[in-house]
Amino acid sequence: MSAPGRAPVTAPTDAPVVTRSTGSGHDLTHPPRTGLLLTLPALAFVAVFVLVPLLFAVYMSFTNWPLIGSYEFIGFDNYAAIASDPVFWKSVGYTVLYTAIVTVPILVLGYVLAVVVRSNRRGSTLFRTVFFLPYVIGLTTLSFLMVLEAQPGSGAVNIVLKALGITDGTSAWLADGPLATGLICVMIVWAVSGLTMVLLMGGMQGISRDVYESAEIDGATWWQRERSITIPMLRPTIAMSLVISVIGSLLAFTQFYVLTRGGPSTDTQTVVMYVYQRGFVQLQLGAASALSIVLVVVIGLVTAVQFRLLREKD
Amino acid sequence: MTTSTTPTTTALGPATARRRTPHVGTAPGRPRAESRTKITLYVLGGVLATLVFLVPLVWSVLRSFQPNDAIVATTPSWSALTQFTTENFRALFTGDADIVRAVGNSLVVAVGTAVLTAVLATLAGYGFGRFGFRGRNTLFGLIVVTMMVPFQAIITPLYLQMNAMGLTDSRLGLVLFYSTVNLPFGVFVMRNAFESIPTEIEDAAHVDGAGTMRTLVSVLRPLLLPGMATSALYAFLAAWTEFLGALTFLTDDRLYTLPLSLVNLQAGAYGAVNFGYLVAGAVVAMVPCVVLYVALQRFYVAGLASGAVKG
Repeated sequence: MSAPGRAPVTAPTDAPVVTRSTGSGHDLTHPPRTGLLLTLPALAFVAVFVLVPLLFAVYMSFTNWPLIGSYEFIGFDNYAAIASDPVFWKSVGYTVLYTAIVTVPILVLGYVLAVVVRSNRRGSTLFRTVFFLPYVIGLTTLSFLMVLEAQPGSGAVNIVLKALGITDGTSAWLADGPLATGLICVMIVWAVSGLTMVLLMGGMQGISRDVYESAEIDGATWWQRERSITIPMLRPTIAMSLVISVIGSLLAFTQFYVLTRGGPSTDTQTVVMYVYQRGFVQLQLGAASALSIVLVVVIGLVTAVQFRLLREKD
Repeated sequence: MTTSTTPTTTALGPATARRRTPHVGTAPGRPRAESRTKITLYVLGGVLATLVFLVPLVWSVLRSFQPNDAIVATTPSWSALTQFTTENFRALFTGDADIVRAVGNSLVVAVGTAVLTAVLATLAGYGFGRFGFRGRNTLFGLIVVTMMVPFQAIITPLYLQMNAMGLTDSRLGLVLFYSTVNLPFGVFVMRNAFESIPTEIEDAAHVDGAGTMRTLVSVLRPLLLPGMATSALYAFLAAWTEFLGALTFLTDDRLYTLPLSLVNLQAGAYGAVNFGYLVAGAVVAMVPCVVLYVALQRFYVAGLASGAVKG
């Protein structure tokens, strides 16, 4: 769930809910009170497992909350400590670097795959199924499979590179920061481009064929059509898939936990790993909560950008 | 209507022919060679990409049928692939590694999450999609906003809260938590599902004397099943593969879900590290995802279409 998004992929719609005659309150089939009752269970879940912890996190972030025992208020000390915490900034830098490396390849590969599967040519459904398969299997399982394929000598990565004459096949991929990063980035791009593909494909299929046909009559080449029709019309979808992928990368945890545990040292420690580390290994829950709040705010800002990009469509 | 398809497109079957709907003046101007190049590119690109995506997965499945010695051999040979054995799986399911319990836990949690998510999302979707009540848009907005609060970020307070509620080290706790994570998407899908059903159907049921729940269960259910299947499928797959939440909320390894039991295999918690067990365990985790996805693909794609692409 923690990589380019197993998180629910839903566009926040700011379009108003369609107002029907049901809104008047005179509709006997749909008494308003029943409607509210029907939504209450879902609202209760969201309140208990999202809103309350969020408010609780704000509260805790101003304390020195330990796992067991009493706590006291320490004002903004946790936040001040974060600002001057080199390990935190290292994890921020690493997470941003990771995000910067994978984002464009995911988008480009996803786009190319979408171009392949968007037509209703024979076999396109099969192709789509296959390209999306790694995403469905999920990063957790794929990461465990990568553990053995990254072994020096015996792993598939080394076997292939040796066969191609690129390396001698003895690289310990997971014991070296840059090597591990490179390997994980390649794996992630491979694993999650399918999601971008499906999102973009949906957008592409929504573009009217007439636009293309008139462009074809005017003698536009494939690339001209792609550049002047598809990409501009797809902009909101591209923006959305970018944000989903960026948020997923910023929240990366599983693949790093399974493959490197953040190591060697803290060289491949992502922000979420660091929060986990402070909270559940060092048991400094107040400090971890302050980190949580910072993370929520950053993700909120990224989402706000998404809202803007989506709104510009209208 | 006369369709003047070129021989190339006819050879590709009706789907292609349909795509090239006759458009006055298009066919003569377009050289046949270009579309042949396009088709060659399509086939080549498609097949190449299929290999890139499929070979690693097939390779892993083959690996799971090799003995550990062959998997860790530093001088790999093709003959390793012929040492077919089901020993890894047998050891996992009968021996010390015992992931039977983990599979059982994962199944209980994933099925529970799928059912609960679908039920809650259906009720809420009905309320939001069909009823006019004060604050409807605000409350719907609230659910959408919670989708943007990543649970990874609030995992610390969430742990304390779940602990206080007695929901850590509990499969029920995981079900409740996973359902919440999957709920906003499900509500979104179900609201769309309700909005696509004509109101006349409900009105008729109402005239016949059916109450709200009766209408929902007897009259609307068949029309809602695709949407419910979509919500349930997403929730199942998410719960089946989720890692961080399970790692945080479970400490008792008898309650471990499959992804967590793989950590034990990776660490060699059952004796020496055995990569044969690890790859076999990962394949066990992989199979239900693949089977469900391939079998229910139309619901999966429908979900993405109804949830995401609606900008």
